[in-house]
Amino acid sequence: MATTSKNMNVFYRQKKNSSASTGKKSTKSPSPKHAATFGSDITQPPALVCHGGSLDLKDDFDEQEQVLRQFDMNMAYGPCVGITRLDRWERAQRMGLNPPKEIESLLRGGKVKLESLFDGRV
Amino acid sequence: MEVDSQEQLQRKQSTYLSLDENFEIQKEVYRGQQYSQIYFARLHMMRTLLYSLVPNWKSHLPVCTVLELEEGKECIIVGTLYKHMKLKPCILDEYSKERSVAPLIKPHNFMHQDDYLVLEDESGRVKLGGTKLSPSVYVTGVVVALHGKETSAGAFFVEDVLEAGLPPQIERPLKSREDKYVVFVSGLSIGSSSSNPLQFQLLVDHITGHLGDEEEQGLAAEIVHLVIVGNSVEISHGLLNGQNLASKDQSRLSEPFKELDILLTQIAASLPLDIMPGSSDPANFALPQQPLNRCLFPGSATYNTFRSCTNPHCFELDSIRFLGTSGQNIDDLTKYSEAKDKLDFLERTLRWRHLAPTAPNTLGCYPFTDRDPFLIDSCPDVYFVGNQEKYETRLLKGLEGQLVRLICIPRFCETGVAVVLNMRNLECHALTFGTQISS
Repeated sequence: MATTSKNMNVFYRQKKNSSASTGKKSTKSPSPKHAATFGSDITQPPALVCHGGSLDLKDDFDEQEQVLRQFDMNMAYGPCVGITRLDRWERAQRMGLNPPKEIESLLRGGKVKLESLFDGRV
Repeated sequence: MEVDSQEQLQRKQSTYLSLDENFEIQKEVYRGQQYSQIYFARLHMMRTLLYSLVPNWKSHLPVCTVLELEEGKECIIVGTLYKHMKLKPCILDEYSKERSVAPLIKPHNFMHQDDYLVLEDESGRVKLGGTKLSPSVYVTGVVVALHGKETSAGAFFVEDVLEAGLPPQIERPLKSREDKYVVFVSGLSIGSSSSNPLQFQLLVDHITGHLGDEEEQGLAAEIVHLVIVGNSVEISHGLLNGQNLASKDQSRLSEPFKELDILLTQIAASLPLDIMPGSSDPANFALPQQPLNRCLFPGSATYNTFRSCTNPHCFELDSIRFLGTSGQNIDDLTKYSEAKDKLDFLERTLRWRHLAPTAPNTLGCYPFTDRDPFLIDSCPDVYFVGNQEKYETRLLKGLEGQLVRLICIPRFCETGVAVVLNMRNLECHALTFGTQISS
C-alpha cells in the first residue's frame, strides 16, 4: 500500500517514552482486562473463542443434558459412541436392561440433543 | 430295449424355509459406529445365557465382574476372551524402525508359545493364568465363564471353564421319512486355470438325470436340493489390478459368469438351488456376505427355483435345519488356533454358540449396533462349511440329545468331490467325478 510518510503515524500507536526518573516507582498495572488468569472474572477471553459470536455456556449445564450425559456414561447400556441416544435407549429396552422411562420421554420431547456427548468429538 | 419308457420319473420335493433374514444388512444404517457395539451385544447375550447356566455348574460360588475381583477370593467371572498373539500381523510393523530388507514372511498360522489370554468385560480386563485354559484352543471373541481366583501378581488363575455348550435343538417329527438327498458342492472356481468344465458338467448331468440308466435316474430323482457353497467363480487377478481394462479384457471379466449361468440354468430348470457367495465371489468382503446380485445370472435367475443366498446361510428343508458358511470363519480359526482337524473347529464354534468368534477382530464384519447375527440360538441338524481341503464328516451328539451332522465340503475344482446328505437319517457320502481317461 502506498502511503505518504506523513500518514505512517496512523499505523503505529505512538508511545511516549516514559521518563527514566529514578525515584519514581511504577505501580503495578492491574491485570489486563481479557486475560484468562487467576484473578480474572472472565472464563473465556474473546480471543480464544471461535464460535461465531454466541457463547454456549448455558447448554452444557442444562439439567436435562446432565441427566442424558449420565445415561450416556452408564456402562450397563453399552458404548454410547456412534449411536444416537434414542437408538441406544431402544436397544437397552430390547435387551431387557430396563432403562429409565424418563430418558425416553426426554428424548422424544424434542428439546434435547439426540446425539451422545461424544458425537463429533471422537 | 425301450428307448423312451412310458412313465416319467418325478423328482421328489421338500418344503423350503429361508432363515437368512438375520444376515441381511439392507436395513442397517451406518452412523459411524465402531465395533464396540457388536462386542457389547455379543457379551450381553452370551452373559445372560451363561448366568443362567452357572447355577447348574457351580452354584456355591459368587459371580462378579472383573473390577470386583479381590485377591484370593474364589469366584466366577464372565467376559470376552482376548488372545494376545506375538506373531499376529500389526499395522504398526510397517512403521517399525527395525524393518528388515527381506519381506515379512506370512506364516499360515500365527500361534506362538508365548500367546496368552485375557478376559474382558465392560469394567476391565484381567490376564488369565493357569493351565486349564489353553491359548491354542481359544481365540479372541469367545465369551466364557471362568472359575478361579485372583493371584498376588494381579492375574486370574483359572481353575475351570464353562462354555455355553451346544444350543437347544428343536425336536424333529419322527415320522418315517423317505430317502431325500441334498447335494453340497463348493469351490467350483469357474474361470480359474484349475477348473475343469467337464467335471461340473458331469455333476449337473448326474443331478438332472441325464446320465445313467433308469435306476441311476431314479436315484437322481431323489435329490431335492442343491447348495453351492461359495467360490463359484474365480476372476484372474491380472484383471483386478486397478487399471482400466481394455474392451477386449472386459469380456474376459464376464466370461466366468456366463459359463456359470449356463450351467446354473440347467440345474435351476430341474431342481431348487441355493448359491452362496464366497471369498472369491463378487460380493462384499465383510461377513455377513450379501446374496450375489441376480443380474449376474440372467438365465437362471428367471427360475423360481434359483435362490441367491447370504453367507452364512441358514434354511430349513422339511423342518430339518441347515446352517453353514463358505469357509471364511473356519479358515480364520485355522490361522489363529489349532485343532486336530477342521471338524474340531466346527464343533468348537457350536459349543461357543458363535459362527465366527474372530469377527470383527481378524475377520471382516459389518458393525452391527443392536445384535450379533452370528450367535447360534438353535442347534442346526446339519452344519456345513465349504471350500476346505478334503471331505470330512462327523455326527456330533450333544448333552441334551442334540444330533448334528458336521460336514466339511471340499473344493470341487481341486478334488471333483461333491457331498450328498440323506435327510432321512443324516447320513453323508461323497460323489466323486473324474475325467481322467485311463489308458
